[in-house]
Amino acid sequence: MTLGEGHLRRRFATFGWYTTLVALSVVILFPIYMLVLRAISSPIAFINAGQPLRLVDPEWDIFSRAWNDAGLARAMLISVVVTAVIMVGQFLTSVMAAYAFAFLEFPFKRLMFAVVIGTLLLPIEVTLIANVRTIRDLGWLNSVQGLSVPFLATALGIFLIRQGFMAVPRELRDAATLDGFGHLGFMFRVAVPLAKPVIGSFLVISFLSAWNQYVWPRNATDEGAWQTVQIALRTLTTTRVDELNLAFAGAIIAALPLVLLLIFFQRQMVSGLTAGAVKG
Amino acid sequence: MSAVTFDEVTKAFGETVAVENMSLEVIDGEFMVLLGPSGCGKSTALRMIAGLEEVTSGMLSIGNQVVNDIPPRERDIAMVFQSYALYPHMTVRKNIESPLVANKRTRLAPAEREQRVHEAAEILGLTEYMDRKPGELSGGQRQRVALARAIVRRPQVFLMDEPLSNLDAKLRTQTRLELVELHRRLGTTFVYVTHDQVEAMTMADRIAIISDGRVQQVGRPQEVYDRPENLFVAQFIGSPPMNTISGTLTTGSSGRTVQTAVGSFAVSDGTGAPDGTPVVAAVRPEHMAVATTDGAGLSGTVENIEMLGHERHLLARVDDRVMVARLGPEDPSPAIHDRVALTVDPDRAHLFDAATTRRLDDSAVAAPGNAR
Amino acid sequence: MTTTLGGAPDRAPKRTSQKVREGLLGWLFLLPALAVFVAFFYYPLYLLVDMSLHRENRFGIGDPPYVGPSQIVDTLTGSDFIEGLTNSGLYMVYTVPLGLVLGVLLAVAANRRLRGIRVFQTIFSSTVATSVAVASVIFFTLVNPEVGYFKDVSWLSLDNPDWALFSVSLSSVWQNLGLTFIIVLAALQAIPAEMEEASALDGYGPLRHFWQITVPLISPALLFLAVVLVVHALQAYAQIELLTNGGPGTATETLLYKIADPQGIRSIGTKASMSLGLFVLTAVVAAAQYGLLSKRVHYGD
Ligand SMILES: Nc1ncnc2c1ncn2[C@@H]1O[C@H](COP(=O)(O)OP(=O)(O)OP(=O)(O)O)[C@@H](O)[C@H]1O
Ligand SMILES: [Mg+2]
Repeated sequence: MTLGEGHLRRRFATFGWYTTLVALSVVILFPIYMLVLRAISSPIAFINAGQPLRLVDPEWDIFSRAWNDAGLARAMLISVVVTAVIMVGQFLTSVMAAYAFAFLEFPFKRLMFAVVIGTLLLPIEVTLIANVRTIRDLGWLNSVQGLSVPFLATALGIFLIRQGFMAVPRELRDAATLDGFGHLGFMFRVAVPLAKPVIGSFLVISFLSAWNQYVWPRNATDEGAWQTVQIALRTLTTTRVDELNLAFAGAIIAALPLVLLLIFFQRQMVSGLTAGAVKG
Repeated sequence: MSAVTFDEVTKAFGETVAVENMSLEVIDGEFMVLLGPSGCGKSTALRMIAGLEEVTSGMLSIGNQVVNDIPPRERDIAMVFQSYALYPHMTVRKNIESPLVANKRTRLAPAEREQRVHEAAEILGLTEYMDRKPGELSGGQRQRVALARAIVRRPQVFLMDEPLSNLDAKLRTQTRLELVELHRRLGTTFVYVTHDQVEAMTMADRIAIISDGRVQQVGRPQEVYDRPENLFVAQFIGSPPMNTISGTLTTGSSGRTVQTAVGSFAVSDGTGAPDGTPVVAAVRPEHMAVATTDGAGLSGTVENIEMLGHERHLLARVDDRVMVARLGPEDPSPAIHDRVALTVDPDRAHLFDAATTRRLDDSAVAAPGNAR
Repeated sequence: MTTTLGGAPDRAPKRTSQKVREGLLGWLFLLPALAVFVAFFYYPLYLLVDMSLHRENRFGIGDPPYVGPSQIVDTLTGSDFIEGLTNSGLYMVYTVPLGLVLGVLLAVAANRRLRGIRVFQTIFSSTVATSVAVASVIFFTLVNPEVGYFKDVSWLSLDNPDWALFSVSLSSVWQNLGLTFIIVLAALQAIPAEMEEASALDGYGPLRHFWQITVPLISPALLFLAVVLVVHALQAYAQIELLTNGGPGTATETLLYKIADPQGIRSIGTKASMSLGLFVLTAVVAAAQYGLLSKRVHYGD
């Protein structure tokens, strides 16, 4: 009797949880559904139809139009190049600095570590005005270097990778010394491979923050040709109402790399986000 | 020729002196074991040979070369670590090959490398695991990879820091034999660090016993067992450890005796120490027996009889300590709480100066190379 | 590379040269990062101070004259700055508590063994695949006053000065859900199963279990998230520009929006002074962030 009751209660609870899960999913997915709907539907017809929850006059070529005619191809290219430069740069500067902090003795080491950590107090939002002036003085407005150089080093990367390096067991370091590894050999053939999980997480953070940047590229460029894809989205939302679906399709295109990342690097993404919790 | 020479070598970490004024000669081709309790400085001594720790003062040589200022990679040595220190991300082959490729200046040609790796793998029976990573090997196999990585260099000296301590008991016994065999086969000098006296006794050509950063005695296993140079060695070597009791040296009707608070016993002594010298006598359990006649030996009460199968140990409370005597197969077992008297084999009692803890026996000449 | 690894202090001359070489190598490795930090993190701080001590003349001709700290004081006590500060503060109030509660709700709901739970977990994580700009475009379809799906819902109206900022902030709440969910779920999954069983044996009901066991155990993660969400709120910019352009009027101009000043209505000196205000604010938050970060690493997760 009690057993049957408990069974019933459990089925009831299960049903309750499924209801909750579905309701929450709707809250999260509805905005995305709306974006897709609006991207494919013809803008004016959709509004005239009273904004139904279905496609209206679908324009299936909207993605190719956004890509080709609305300049998203170029914007994506710039985003890809800038993101790649930032990621490679951050990887190299972080690994090298982390190596110095983890394995080398040099004068003013502690002070330098404080200098690195101190940059956390100076995010791009704070230094925006001044850095725009610097970039302008350098003649780097509207250029790849202007978009990327200020981000070629990051305290978070140095900090995380240093933690990874310091976890290399002492005996392994000794063994490498006896094997005859020099510093570069040890760094790239032992330390970096061993710190791969941390570095993977960091690269995810690096990718997300570089790809998603908005404030800096918005202020370091003033020509349409140098817009990153995030900035292109803003431009598209300011166009005529009957072409707004270009902006909506553009948003889908801009999110695609992150969707792929989420699918293929879920584990690194989760550990990266947990480690660094960056702005996306 | 000696393979490794410590000449008054001291190593200090700030205030801590890990190795103090160590002088030791490791003879070419021998299996030298550095034995001592935890924290005595034996790893530090070994790491100085490797160049992983710098010498604070004194002179350290490998072969005929003073190596104080020679970086590790230019010393002709190989080391096996307690944790094996294998590269987890490399295959067994890459691990073994690593010493041959890491140093660009001494890198070998691929063909020769291949051949040497194969040879080392062959010796240690690793040929079928070459493409696995260390994580896919058992503890014993990992240990053999570490050995292979050492022998592939063909160094002048092998250094090993407790390489067996991560193995289970059975494998440890087996690997002990294999290491001795390997040493015989290679004919190269081994310097081997352990705190396990069984390892030291079974494998060493010579043992250096270390305590508090100092060498206490150097000698062949039988030598250090039979003629401990000082009280520390006497108590450290042997299991169960020697019984010790302090007393005064006197001369009686039956020759020299040691007079203690709980009785006296005769010793056959070769010392010129005068009567009245305070001494500490040390006697192995197998050299003590339960008295069959009254009035002789040290009196005590039986606390326990330990059955070990092939022998029995009698634990008796004598004065404020527990003494252990090994009972022969025919000896009767006294009951617990019985009063017994323990006798000492006069020829096997070791006498140490109570003040200096040095051996009194003047026939105990220092083993060649070192005495302190 | 001819230097070797390791090496502690020593007196011998040969080793001394090795030490010098190691020191040089350390600096060499540090140099690239340091160059970026100096040029784009520390030098700008100097520039900001310098800019806020000089006041541009009306036409921006010639070098701006030195005016001392008066401009900083004027700006930081001015109504423009106070409004930006208030809006940024309100943005935190709107996004942080709601974001935490929803994140916990999602994670608790998805942290159980049910068939198909992975699908729900993927859905709940999905907003991490959006940037602020993408999320803003998504909310454009919902709350834009002309074409938004909810354009007639008054408390979501971007035309209503009282509700516009709240409406914008919902895009951030939504966008942060994925991150919050992932972190809280990780924290929940780190709770050992025995805890659950032990508290069940002790006779705890589900609600008491949640408040007395679960919440304390995940509180480090929640604290960490709170800091992260505060930082996100301070950095809110794209969503303002895409959804309202700061309007209606200046009702949704956050501090950063005023500093970035897309319409170019403020002088350099004013914006630099405001940046210094933002710097102080950020410093407080970043200090908390660093404290938490090193603690987390210390836990070993
Ligand atoms: N890098 C170091 N810094 C400071 N003190 C050290 C260092 N390495 C060793 N010591 C100290 O030197 C002494 C000897 O250490 P060592 O590692 O040689 O002992 P050990 O005989 O190998 O002991 P064990 O059997 O536990 O390995 C110890 O007191 C230890 O604390
Ligand atoms: Mg040791």
